[in-house]
Amino acid sequence: MSGSPVGARGPKIDGRARITGAARFVADLKLPRMAHGAFVRSTHAHARLRDIDVSAARAMPGVLGVMVGADLPRRYGAIPVARDETALAVDKVRYIGEPIVCVVAVDLELARRAAAEVRVSYEPLPAVLGIDAALDPTSPIVHDEARKPSNTLRHVSQAFGDVDAELAASDVVVEARYDYPGSTHAPLEAHGALAAPDPDGGLTLWTSTQNVHYVHKDVARVLGMDERDLRVVKPAVGAGYGGKCDPFCTELCAAHMARTLGRPVRIVLSREEVFLAHRGRHPTRMWMRMGLTRDGDIRAIDFKAWADGGAYASYGVVTSYYLGVFMGMPYRLGAYRFEAMRLYTNVPPCGPKRGHGAIQPRFALETHLDRAAEVLRMDPASLRARNFLGADSETINGLRITSNGVAACMDAVLSASGWHTRRGRLPRGRGLGLAVSAYMSGALHGIHGDDLSQSVVSVRVDRNGAVTVFSGSADLGQGSQQMLATLVADRLGLQPSDIRVVEADTRLTPVDLGSYSSRVTMMAGNAALQAADAVRAQVLDAAATQLGTAASELRLEDGRIHVAGDVSVGVSFVRAAQLAEARLGAVGATAGFRPPLQGSRHRRESVGPSPAYSFTAQVAEVEVDEDTGVVRVVQVWVAHDCGRALQPSIVEGQVEGCVAMGLGEALHEETVHRDGRLVAPSLLAYKVPTIHETPPIEVTLVETHDPIGPLGAKECGEGPQLGTVPAVANAIHDAIGIRLDAPPFTPERVLRALDARGRAG
Amino acid sequence: MTPMPRMPMRVPRSIDAALAALAEPGARALAGGTDVVPALKHGLLSPGPLVSLHALDALRGVSRPADGGLRIGAMTPLSALVSHPDVSILAPALASSASTVASPTIRNAATLGGNVLLDTRCDWYNLPDVSRASLGGCLKCDGTVCHVAPRGTRCWAAHSADTVPVLMLLGAELEVLHRGDSDGTRCTRTPLASLVAQADGRTAHGLPRGALLSAIVVPRREARIVHRKVRARGTLDFGVLLVAVARHDSGWSAVVSASGPAPVRVDAPNGTSLVEAAWSAVKPVGTHTVSPNWRRRMVRVEVERAVAALDG
Amino acid sequence: MDDVVPVLLRVNGDDVRLHVPPTRTLLDVVREDLDLCGTKHGCDVGECGACTVLLDGTPRLSCLTLVGTVEGREVCTIEGIATPAGLHPIQEAFDRRVAAQCGYCTPGIVLTLVALRARMPDASPGHIRDALGSNLCRCTGWGAILRAAEDVFAPCRGGTA
Repeated sequence: MSGSPVGARGPKIDGRARITGAARFVADLKLPRMAHGAFVRSTHAHARLRDIDVSAARAMPGVLGVMVGADLPRRYGAIPVARDETALAVDKVRYIGEPIVCVVAVDLELARRAAAEVRVSYEPLPAVLGIDAALDPTSPIVHDEARKPSNTLRHVSQAFGDVDAELAASDVVVEARYDYPGSTHAPLEAHGALAAPDPDGGLTLWTSTQNVHYVHKDVARVLGMDERDLRVVKPAVGAGYGGKCDPFCTELCAAHMARTLGRPVRIVLSREEVFLAHRGRHPTRMWMRMGLTRDGDIRAIDFKAWADGGAYASYGVVTSYYLGVFMGMPYRLGAYRFEAMRLYTNVPPCGPKRGHGAIQPRFALETHLDRAAEVLRMDPASLRARNFLGADSETINGLRITSNGVAACMDAVLSASGWHTRRGRLPRGRGLGLAVSAYMSGALHGIHGDDLSQSVVSVRVDRNGAVTVFSGSADLGQGSQQMLATLVADRLGLQPSDIRVVEADTRLTPVDLGSYSSRVTMMAGNAALQAADAVRAQVLDAAATQLGTAASELRLEDGRIHVAGDVSVGVSFVRAAQLAEARLGAVGATAGFRPPLQGSRHRRESVGPSPAYSFTAQVAEVEVDEDTGVVRVVQVWVAHDCGRALQPSIVEGQVEGCVAMGLGEALHEETVHRDGRLVAPSLLAYKVPTIHETPPIEVTLVETHDPIGPLGAKECGEGPQLGTVPAVANAIHDAIGIRLDAPPFTPERVLRALDARGRAG
Repeated sequence: MTPMPRMPMRVPRSIDAALAALAEPGARALAGGTDVVPALKHGLLSPGPLVSLHALDALRGVSRPADGGLRIGAMTPLSALVSHPDVSILAPALASSASTVASPTIRNAATLGGNVLLDTRCDWYNLPDVSRASLGGCLKCDGTVCHVAPRGTRCWAAHSADTVPVLMLLGAELEVLHRGDSDGTRCTRTPLASLVAQADGRTAHGLPRGALLSAIVVPRREARIVHRKVRARGTLDFGVLLVAVARHDSGWSAVVSASGPAPVRVDAPNGTSLVEAAWSAVKPVGTHTVSPNWRRRMVRVEVERAVAALDG
Repeated sequence: MDDVVPVLLRVNGDDVRLHVPPTRTLLDVVREDLDLCGTKHGCDVGECGACTVLLDGTPRLSCLTLVGTVEGREVCTIEGIATPAGLHPIQEAFDRRVAAQCGYCTPGIVLTLVALRARMPDASPGHIRDALGSNLCRCTGWGAILRAAEDVFAPCRGGTA
């Protein structure tokens, strides 16, 4: 291969390990004298812990140690303002499945058997289940230990413009309520951690995480360790989708027990425990009022969202903002007001799932726009188009849009799906639905509220020409290693296969805030680009001196540095690296990236602003069986503005994965509890789509070359999921004329809606 | 990770040895293991001696007895059944129902005998460890309450064997081996229908303890049969409704299953409506994904569609 | 109570003699006893396909297969399909098409397709989909996996469709 790798397809640098079984996930790591941990978990949704009798377990031969909440009582949580979790329950349990005891034994089977011998006595408390119970002032308080006890974690209200006046002046006001269900990530790899004492007295923790930095900080805090004595390493991770962003009991207990026992301890969750660990989508009840002119201009949106957050905060503070702040994108609103609450209840904690906090309001908004189009007798695409903000614009709530390819995205899917010729003309039971969305490429402000870099990346060049990139970001399969290698290779005239990436090891790699919020390409990519440019200057200068020309006259390509226009006059990259080392003592650079502040309200609305936003449009075609209520998605056409596709195969894979996950939420997936008990904590009962439920997904990439994104790139791993559920909802309406405002659109819900319409005559 | 609990295993090399092993206290037969192993891992079954039947070649294979029907060894894997030419010709609906069991890979291990004797299933009984422990047991094995119908006194776990409705319509018989009084082996033939008629939620069939299902015998039948399975996903899932419908000279018959503890057989002589008969006979219970009403409505739709397929 | 028994297997072409409880799962045997960790724990109860291995060439879920029931048989894991000469054609196609994202389901899916190819080299897109009904993938939405499979199967289908 020759030329720039940017935009080229082909294998990813870490691909081979993943298709040969060579990739090492945490459950594959083994150390001498390694012990195994298992948890005793709460069988009550809400109860005081009266007594925990571990004597029988402790007495079993082969049991090495048993720990309870009191052994590690310091509170933790990814968001510093909402640390409300402990490694194991202390005094009280708040959901069925909350870990109470960790038993460590010489093998897993024994650890589990010993765990079954632990006797926990509970004093049951009434459980707070559902949004209404959480809002009921007579309900018990889930976190009664808090300084200001309340079942509301966060209540956010923001208003921009005069919503009441705009609504009053609107020609039509459309109003509806939406109920979005909970759902869970269901990564194929369970969470796991392996901790081992280091010979120098420290501790190494290998963990299945999206975020070594947050795990590093929290494990050190809770264990009372000096951060410098703790090393957190992410091995290969079997995906996360947001579910592995929080620190977990696996990490804290493995670390604590490894230190206590002086031997390695590995804890890997069972499949059921993965469902209990959760941190999935918040079930959200929403109300929307939208005022429009008769021509279809949106004068105002008034929006409320109450989210059932489960027993602990997780990233819930952020969730409560995300429920509202993206509403005006990519639309021009005359006025906007939102109110959002994130509530505590006695079920497994919700957290960041792909499209964090933005999925639910996007479902409401895009379904609502179809409602409005129906009232106004407009084509839903035209209604959207007339309200589009362009590039280099700002939303009503002060979010600065740089590049913006939404119009091109919508054109692409309208044309690919035959929207204008087919919509409304398909046989009964078939329909097309459209949705548009926008998502962030990382948060402008980190969660620690400091002025430090969001990502630091080092690029090192050895005298043998080896280029190594060191980044704390975590590749979970989404391709961030390839992203880093592509950017660095582009700057150094090499190919990604020439680059080695060392990632997510707190001893080796500089800090990166982790792989969430779709931030890695923007943050780590820009830092890598800066570091690579510094290295580029080092080798260029050395080569220029050697060649007796100016650095500006030189080109780097195909592993050589040569004079522009004359390939024969030059040196190899390896030689240039040696020349640079001779001149400078070492070749390499470290750079940090903190996005430039932009947008008029970036300080006040500190949650939501992003350096750049991605845009997506999608059309779903469905077929509805009106006798059974079964909805089949026939095809999805999706176009995504990813800025610039650094590796198109990877971007397409992200877009397809987003749509597939969205289809699961549209048709099947729902975390249902009864009496606080998860009713589907298995991959058989919880309906992740199989290949039979996944239709062809036709992807178009719209490249806009963002001015802030590295070489123009923006996010692609979350945004494309936002529109899938409303596109399906709108397609169902096109097919059979019913509106479904509560996913998933199960056969039963479809039939109920058809019946209701039948009764209404 | 969910490890396999420890328990002894017997690997009999003869029928006699198998019957002797099955007579041990707490012994449990292991065929393909696709249902028993998960239940053992989840602690739903007590860890008694496992009697693996895999070494008994006599229990495997499809043959054609003199009467022109089929004799299918109980240990015949479903994938072998699905692709067997004699089964495709003589009992295509059986092949088709077997092809809907779980997934292709599971059908490589799962056997016809195992499917016929498949345990009943329920959202609550089949919960994994922690969630099930939080329920405090249930009527099916270790409690006093049914979580499907908490005020009732019976177990509502659903009969979920995909091949049973078709086999019942085919008039299948089960060849069962018993330990004789004086150490010999006794072989009996029992209609499948009478064995599953004893299904009560707690158990899926009336096979006596210690007995060994050796073969499923399908007599030659002229009836045309259509099988339909309603499930959430196109693979992996158990049915939330199983319907088999047969057209014969004197009328129609259906077996409806997966909606209650035992399959329900409905007959409609010519001139009467099978759909109406099924609608009144089947009173499904709900699951966490589907309500009784929807399931009952699907009985009508699916029987109608099966009838239409046979009429067409 | 759970006696250790001798078990002879042929694993990826090598004869392997083990002394293990017969109720040990084949998954634990390949991962823990033979250190072939490419076979994955996904659900441990037959609901995801991540633990797929080939038993005498046929896909089986190793989490449900007790080793005492497969004495003397031939087991092939993901580590056993590439040769020193290179990757298996299915793997090559997966690499080229970036069909593995996180890679956790990938060994099982690759083996499902390897077995299908051995049995039916000209498998139709429908056959491929049916075979893949044994495995869950949460990352890809199946697109890249199907493109990779087409790269391998389509050329064998001949000209007459």
